[in-house]
Parts: sequence; C-alpha cells; structure tokens
Amino acid sequence: MTDLPSMIRSPNFVTDLRALATRDLAIDSATDAHGVTVLWCELANSEDLVPLATLFRNQKARLVMVTASQPPKPDEEEEDEEEDEETEGEEENETAPPAPALTFGGTSMDGTSYEIIYHFAVQGDIVNLIVHVPQSGSLPSLTPLFRTADWPEREIMELYGMVFSGHPNPRRLFLDKSIDPAVLERLIPFSTLANAASTQELWSKVTAAAKAGES
Amino acid sequence: MSASLSESFTIPVGPLHVALEEPMYFRVDVEGETITGVDINAGHVHRGIEYLATKRSLAQNVVLTERICSLCSNSHPESFALAVETIGGLKVPERGAYLRVIAGELKRVASNLFNVAILAHLVGYEALFMHVMQVREDAQDLKEAVFGNRMNLGAICIGGTRYDLDGETTDIFVASLDRLEPKIREILSTYKTNGSIQRRTREVGVLRTDDAEACGVVGPVARASGLHHDIREAAPYHVYDRLPPEVLVLEEGDVWSRALIRLHEALDAIRILRAALKDLPDGPVNLGEIPEIPPGRAVSRSEAPRGELLYYLKTGETEEPERLKWRVPSFPNWDALTFMLNGAKVADIAIIVNSIDPCISCTER
Repeated sequence: MTDLPSMIRSPNFVTDLRALATRDLAIDSATDAHGVTVLWCELANSEDLVPLATLFRNQKARLVMVTASQPPKPDEEEEDEEEDEETEGEEENETAPPAPALTFGGTSMDGTSYEIIYHFAVQGDIVNLIVHVPQSGSLPSLTPLFRTADWPEREIMELYGMVFSGHPNPRRLFLDKSIDPAVLERLIPFSTLANAASTQELWSKVTAAAKAGES
Repeated sequence: MSASLSESFTIPVGPLHVALEEPMYFRVDVEGETITGVDINAGHVHRGIEYLATKRSLAQNVVLTERICSLCSNSHPESFALAVETIGGLKVPERGAYLRVIAGELKRVASNLFNVAILAHLVGYEALFMHVMQVREDAQDLKEAVFGNRMNLGAICIGGTRYDLDGETTDIFVASLDRLEPKIREILSTYKTNGSIQRRTREVGVLRTDDAEACGVVGPVARASGLHHDIREAAPYHVYDRLPPEVLVLEEGDVWSRALIRLHEALDAIRILRAALKDLPDGPVNLGEIPEIPPGRAVSRSEAPRGELLYYLKTGETEEPERLKWRVPSFPNWDALTFMLNGAKVADIAIIVNSIDPCISCTER
C-alpha cells in the first residue's frame, strides 16, 4: 500500500485530471514542512465527479470522508458600502441590482446551495474534490465505486435537502424516520430539539414570579 | 428439538446490552448458532456537535472537540489545532510539538490497555480483566500527575500545548514508564500464550485484507488485517518524522491479532515517550497570543489510538468556523463488522464488536 508512489506527486497528475473533465477545474495545492501534500480541486461541472472518482478508485485511493455544507452568502455589508461609494460618484448607475455571487462553476451563492467535498487519501497525501449543488439538487452516488461512501452519503441525505442518486440503500443513518427531512436547513426551537417538556405548574410559577417582579 | 435449532431466526442485540459499553443496535440473522446476516442501526447518541462547533469560536472549539470522545479525547483538539495552524500559517515551537507527541502517546497506552482489558472481561477471565485495568491505572495516575486529569488532558491549545514538564515531573514520568513497561510485556505474553484467551479469540471475527481495504478500515483493525497504514508514518505531523513508530502488521485479521497489535502499540508508545522525553528541546511550549485566523480551509490527519482521524476546517470572516467536520476512526470500522460477524457464532458477537474498539459517541457526534 505504501510502496506505490503517490499519484498526485506525478507531474502529469493535473493534466490527467483536466483531460477527464468536460469543463474547467480550479486546482490549488500546498505541501507542508513534513512533505505532506494537500490538493484542492473545484469542479466547474458536477458531472465530472464520476470520471474523476473512477480515476482515484483505479489508483487505489481511499475515500476518507464526505463533507457537506451550505456556504453563507458572501458578505453583503461590504457590497453595500462599495455601492454607496459608487452612487456617490456617478448617479446614473443607481438601480442596477447586485448580481448574485456565483461559485467557480456558476452555482448561485445564495446561502442555500450545497458545497460537497470528497476527501480522498492517496498514500500520505490528500485530494479534495469540491462540487457545488443547488438546493434540492442531486449528485451521483459514489457508493457503487467506494464502499466507504455509503454512510457519509446517507448522513448528508438525512441532514440536508439533497439526494445522492443511485445510492443502493438510501435509508436514514443516524436520525429516525419520524424526524422531518433536512433538519440542518430549518430553525427548530431548542425545547423541541431537546424534546424538553415542562409542567403547567412550572409555567404558572414562572408567570406569577414575572408579574410580581413587574409590580 | 434438534430440528428447531437449524431454523433461522432474527435476534436483536442492543441498543442496550450487557456486553456493549455504548448503545448500538444490531439486527442479527442466525441459522442455529451461526450468524448469516447483520444489519447495523446507529443513531442512539447523535448529539449534533458539528452544528454546535459552528456556534463556537476557534479557541472554544479546542475545549468542545476534546469532549467528542473520552478515550481519544486528546486526538480531537490535536487534529483541530493542526487544521487551524495550517490556515493561519502558524509554526508550533519545537518543545510544543514534542509535548504534543508525549500527550498523545500516553493516551494511546491507556486507551489500548482499556480495550484489551475489556476483551479479557468478555472472554470471562475476570482476574486478567482486573489485572489489566490495574496496570492501566498506573497510566491513569501518570496522566493525573502530569496533566491534572485522568481522561481529558486539556494539553492542546492552538499554537502548541497548555502544559509544560519540569525536571521533577519528567523524573516521575520516566519512573512510571519503567514500572509500566515490564507489566505490559507480561500482559502481552499472557495474551500470546493463555489457553482461554486463544480459544475465544483466534480465528474469530476474521477480516480479510481485501475486505479491510474495501471498508477503508484504519488503525489497529487495518494493521491486524495486513494493511500497512499508520498516519504517523504515512503523513507525519508534530515530530513523528524524527520519532517514527515501529508499525507492526499482522495478516490473520482475527480478534487475537487486533489485541496483539494494541499491546504492541502500547509498548511502542512507551518507547516513543522515552525518546521524546530524552530529546525534549528547550524553548516556549506555545506561541502565546494567536493572531487572527484568516478565511481559508484545511484538512489535517492524526493517528488516534483507534486509527486515522481526519479534520476539515473552513474559516470565514467571523471567529466561528464556517464548517468543522471530522471523520473518527470508528466510523469506517463499523462497516467491517458485517464481514467479521458473518459466519461467526452468536456467543462471539460481543467479543467481535469489542475488537474494533468501537466508539459510538464519536461516530455519531
């Protein structure tokens, strides 16, 4: 396992990746003082995911983890300030609404789209494939390629409103079937979340104490 | 009667079961006494810590991550701090890096002894169980003497460590290791030769190398199934390039091999501890005040007692991380149980489940 040279150290690696992709890739890598390389590769087209993952599978890479998140909207306050400066200078431009910020691949950064990162271990190095998916969108499941994608994909499907199509066993992983889908996308009162219940008697004491405090 | 024994049944094991330390539910199909299928149902201690982490500042998350897991408690803030330091471009002082190795390896000794002790308990060899727990107690006392705590060491901070060793503590440390080592060697030789242990653990819960690779197992489970994989060697951090582990790989893939690997690694940790205490350079243990961490992302890996631990951190403009995610070593190892349990005897379920050294609270977060 450790005898194979890390494929990402090969000078052709980035060329190989680009040859498999139908659209552009944003690639960035860094090597630390111990010689461990971490490579970040953002896909402009999410359909390029399967061909790239197949390459990693053939090179005996291990899918370590899949991270999902909903990146927040880029800071609006700063944009407003810039606009103010502009409108002070030239007033003709007044009503141009700011275009929504887009990711590298053109997915709208509206705070609801998902950023999915596949973390692959290639010997001592790490390759991270970054894919953007609009809300309620879907990605092809990597479970047929990597057994280790099974649990992470099921976990993401129960927490967010996205689907990994073609997952062989898309059951809930940690959360019970009775819990509504996409829990991480909703605001839930803490008492509901913690399933906290209190008696009527407690509330009558609390309201009585509050009234006594007011008078 | 003999006809009914050959029929197949489905039996529940867990979520609360005398032989499981934490809640996990296995639906086991059996044919007579032999297991023919396993379905794992998780989620009994799901706590939402990943969400909580995005509501805490980076400094607060050092405290929070230490509480994800009790036995690997030091590895979590350790990996988290490595990710923060990568984004911030911070270089931990030499002495701090050595002290991090010392904290991590001492946790490994205690954690591995705990799992091996539970194995003796499940085998029904209570005297050995109590003896191994007593030896582990020496490691616990040492942790309490050096760090002030038996489980959560509170040793790590962003930029280095929160603790330092003076001459007196170092002497206590070395003397304690001198007492521990022969006892662990004796335990190792007992596990290698004792009939009761061997009858219940050899060729039980076998995980073949190709299945181990497919499941992506890590740590002692991987190394007992013929996979040469240790993050301290494959992707060194701290000063592990100067203090490399002696990686033992066994091919059998049974419960016994996993126990032997853990005992070997407890002894190897003592060797690393001695070398680190001897080479410990002078200087500051941390960077003091930490500059503002810019927006960015990083992944970091460390070898926890149970295997590879991976952290992903994405920082934004605020003090709180935009996303913090981690993959604990138990997470892929659960899947391997479906291979280990298949064809095993019902009476061996608890022994096999314990042999992956499962941590449920950190699997489900």
